[in-house]
Amino acid sequence: MERSWWWKAALYCAAIVLAVLYLVPTVVPEEKRPAFFQKYFKKRIQLGLDLKGGLHLVYEVNIEKAVASKVDRLANEVDDALRKKGADFTVVRTGRDDIAITFKVPGEAAKLDDEVLKPHRRDLDVVSRDAATGTVKLKFDADRVAEVEELALRQAIETIRGRVDAFGVAEPTIIKKGTDIVVELPGAKEKDFERIKSIIGRTAQLEFKIVDDGSEYMKKVAAQVPKEGAITVAPESWTEKHQGTQHEDVYLRVKEKDKDELTKFIAGLAGDLAVPNDREIALELMSPREVNEGTPDKYYRTYLLKKRAGVTGEYLSNAEESWDEMGRPEVSFTMNRQGAGMMEKLTGENVGRKMAVVLDEKITSAPVIESKIGERGRITMGGYGDPFKLQQEVKDLVGVLRSGALPAPLKKSFETQVGATMGQDAIDKAQISMGIGALAVILFMLIYYRVAGFIANLAMTLNMLFMIAILAAFEASLTLPGIAGLVLTIGMAVDSNIIIYERIREELRLGKSPRTAVDAGFQRAFWTVFDAHVTNFVAGIVLYSYGSGPIRGFAVTLLVGIVTNLLTSVWISHWMFDVLVNRRGTVRTTLSI
Amino acid sequence: MAEQQKFFEVIKSGTDIDFIGNQKYWIGSSIVLVLLTLVMLPLNAFVLKDRGHVLNWGVDFKGGTELVVEFNKAVDASQVRDALTSAGLHNADVVKYGNEGGATAFMIRLGAVSILSGDQAKKVEAAIAHVGDATLHKFESSEGGDKVYVRFDKNVDNAVLKAALKAAGTDSTDVQSFGPPEDYTYEVTLIGMDSEVRKALDAKLGAGTVKAIPQVSSVGAKAGKQLQVDGVRALLGAILLIVIYVAFRFDFRYGPGTIVALLHDAVITVGAFAVTYKEFSLTTLAAILTIIGFSMNDTIVVFDRIRENAAKYRDRKFDKVVNHAINETLSRTILTSATVFFVTLAMNIFGTGVIRDFAFAMNVGVIVGTYSSIFIASPILIWLNEKYVAMQKKQAARPERNVRKPVRRDEEEAAET
Repeated sequence: MERSWWWKAALYCAAIVLAVLYLVPTVVPEEKRPAFFQKYFKKRIQLGLDLKGGLHLVYEVNIEKAVASKVDRLANEVDDALRKKGADFTVVRTGRDDIAITFKVPGEAAKLDDEVLKPHRRDLDVVSRDAATGTVKLKFDADRVAEVEELALRQAIETIRGRVDAFGVAEPTIIKKGTDIVVELPGAKEKDFERIKSIIGRTAQLEFKIVDDGSEYMKKVAAQVPKEGAITVAPESWTEKHQGTQHEDVYLRVKEKDKDELTKFIAGLAGDLAVPNDREIALELMSPREVNEGTPDKYYRTYLLKKRAGVTGEYLSNAEESWDEMGRPEVSFTMNRQGAGMMEKLTGENVGRKMAVVLDEKITSAPVIESKIGERGRITMGGYGDPFKLQQEVKDLVGVLRSGALPAPLKKSFETQVGATMGQDAIDKAQISMGIGALAVILFMLIYYRVAGFIANLAMTLNMLFMIAILAAFEASLTLPGIAGLVLTIGMAVDSNIIIYERIREELRLGKSPRTAVDAGFQRAFWTVFDAHVTNFVAGIVLYSYGSGPIRGFAVTLLVGIVTNLLTSVWISHWMFDVLVNRRGTVRTTLSI
Repeated sequence: MAEQQKFFEVIKSGTDIDFIGNQKYWIGSSIVLVLLTLVMLPLNAFVLKDRGHVLNWGVDFKGGTELVVEFNKAVDASQVRDALTSAGLHNADVVKYGNEGGATAFMIRLGAVSILSGDQAKKVEAAIAHVGDATLHKFESSEGGDKVYVRFDKNVDNAVLKAALKAAGTDSTDVQSFGPPEDYTYEVTLIGMDSEVRKALDAKLGAGTVKAIPQVSSVGAKAGKQLQVDGVRALLGAILLIVIYVAFRFDFRYGPGTIVALLHDAVITVGAFAVTYKEFSLTTLAAILTIIGFSMNDTIVVFDRIRENAAKYRDRKFDKVVNHAINETLSRTILTSATVFFVTLAMNIFGTGVIRDFAFAMNVGVIVGTYSSIFIASPILIWLNEKYVAMQKKQAARPERNVRKPVRRDEEEAAET
């Protein structure tokens, strides 16, 4: 053997050992691997979601709405600033980007001066000032629109990521594609699909609103409740701890199943009884705590709320799971400094009143404010029930609150959900078809090319080994099309071998010695094989860059396969042929090919 | 000198089939197949009533929802279709999907992505024009969205709105107000298509008929469009890059033949999908790209040998050189194609879903790919070479000696032809 042969032997052996090491985490269960091994090799092939089951979702971000709500916030800020200067006016958002401010007294329009607009000079441009009607038109700066869009998209991705992480799905992929967000959750359980989707899509608006107790209005409404219906009127009273102020109120209640009747009744309030503009009636689902009465029905009760939210979830800095004195799970949260200031002001002014915690339009609880609340607060989850379910609800809520509200609503534009049973079936079928295909190829090569066929099969096996090891090293996920790619690589490997072997046969027919024929065959066939591989590689790259989801899986295996195939069928098998034709001095006259 | 060795051969060495001489028959049959494809496409769309589309587009191109539904009891496709129709889910494709262990499963394909689409949205809009004393100002639903935004002139209770929507035949999982309260805008989250289908089937065929819905995919119309555009771009991009590579490795005379062969293979494979009306999905597109790669591979092997032989036998006529090269590589061509064909055939027979579609496309593609490199690409190469030689003579420049030419002169030739 030549010296270079030994060098190659060492190199190839090293490659094989490395490949086997990379393959171990995929094949051997974790507990059977030695600890030191864990440290260096723990990457493994992931099953794609078509094999493992899971969710693939694509969302469009409703950017229009994000811009509109940004303009709304600006309008509110201008409104506040102007009010401080004491003018009578209305602020209306006319288009998505336009704000119109109309002053009662046209002359007061001058109050909308640089001082008011200065904090917003990057955001708002004055379009026109109509001195006669006292109307000032503002427009949201066009450059800023793009910024807001970009920000909304980025924020939406962060928000979704936070929520998905909180849910604890392994290896989620959340990426931006154009103005879409692609979420891939392989391994998600079928029973969780609905829950995951609702968590991702949840707007998660948290608001704190003061309950207007003791109002004349509620008394009037209570008097109108039909006697024979399901709705009952209930009084309540409580005493404020420190000052001893008395609070009295009436509310309406219905059993859980009769909720519709109550909502219809409220919706039907009109004329004198119409809900005042700055108030709203909201419901809370209550669970009575009298255990000795067996399992008392849950019921809904009303609260009359001040419509404008005192503080919102925007100012949350953290949320976590905690337990109340009864050991029931609840959510405790921390406000940031600005939010804490607002909360302090709100609760300080309303000690003794109730404050409703409203999450996505539903009251989760409405405790009495006993003293000024600063940065910390809690949300109780209303009632007992299945403690496990309650716990899950708390966990979900913590995840959603931590990740914050979505900057804009999401619209689902693409969805694939695959159940785990479907996945298993696909794996079985794929294994069968792959096995049969591989077996047929191996037998064919053995029969047709004898010893050379054996070398080809060995090279093909090494090809598979390298391919899977590289996929494992990249932590690539194996999808159904990916398996198709693996099978195709077998095809390509066969092709390379056939091209080379046919060439060697031709050289032998010309009467060359096996040794020269092998060298000439490999040398002449190399460029043909190389060209074929390059063109396939090009197709693979195009597939990868334009393809989505499953097609990418196919492209990845194809690309990896092309590289490993070139290595195994050209170089390694040439090296093995060297053993065959150069055995220790004896010059062979025939070659089993 | 070693004695002549004997090999196990399918194609005997020294085989000399006259491929080029009979090329008009071969080219003729190719033209027939391509024409058949071109006829089949409009035929599918306009004449064959139960087809209705050029190709049987999968949901990923057409937009829509595809569900796999497993049943607890034996039902047939027409029962499923009827049940869906009576629930307002019209024009459902219902295809048998595997049948193991007595359990029946169907693949159901619906044009709609959300339970609210097109006409139904209009109906619902009309139905909730007045809720309580509030009047609907704006009804915003998008084809494929799972959410609807409605704006009223007054406050509407969420539950009331939900009830009104239900009365209009639209179930929602959630209704909540959206944006500032004085906007009176509400966000309605509709129930999923799978829940709707389950409801429809259980209602008509008896509660508990549906065992499970293990697979659901839905593609919005916009996403579908995007995928189509991406797909066509990928196809063209791949062809362009491959041709550039061939032009670079060989010379420009070899380019057109490969392009025509590639297009030929792609068109005929599409034709096979048009005739069988099998689903044409993203995976099929991937298969066509793979076929292009394989066909290219084949063509290159033949061309490589042509180039080699042309340099070796300069005194022979070019078409003879080509025919000889094809015969020399025939053994390899047949063996490779046969192996790939049988491997993909195994995938076609034993595989499922995606793999199966992929394998079918490959089966067709391997055959036409092999065929095209011999009967399409090579004749075009010969023809171009004749033109080239004639032009060389006319110019009375150097006598034509070497088949390989510097690229610059080829460019002049390309500009003139």
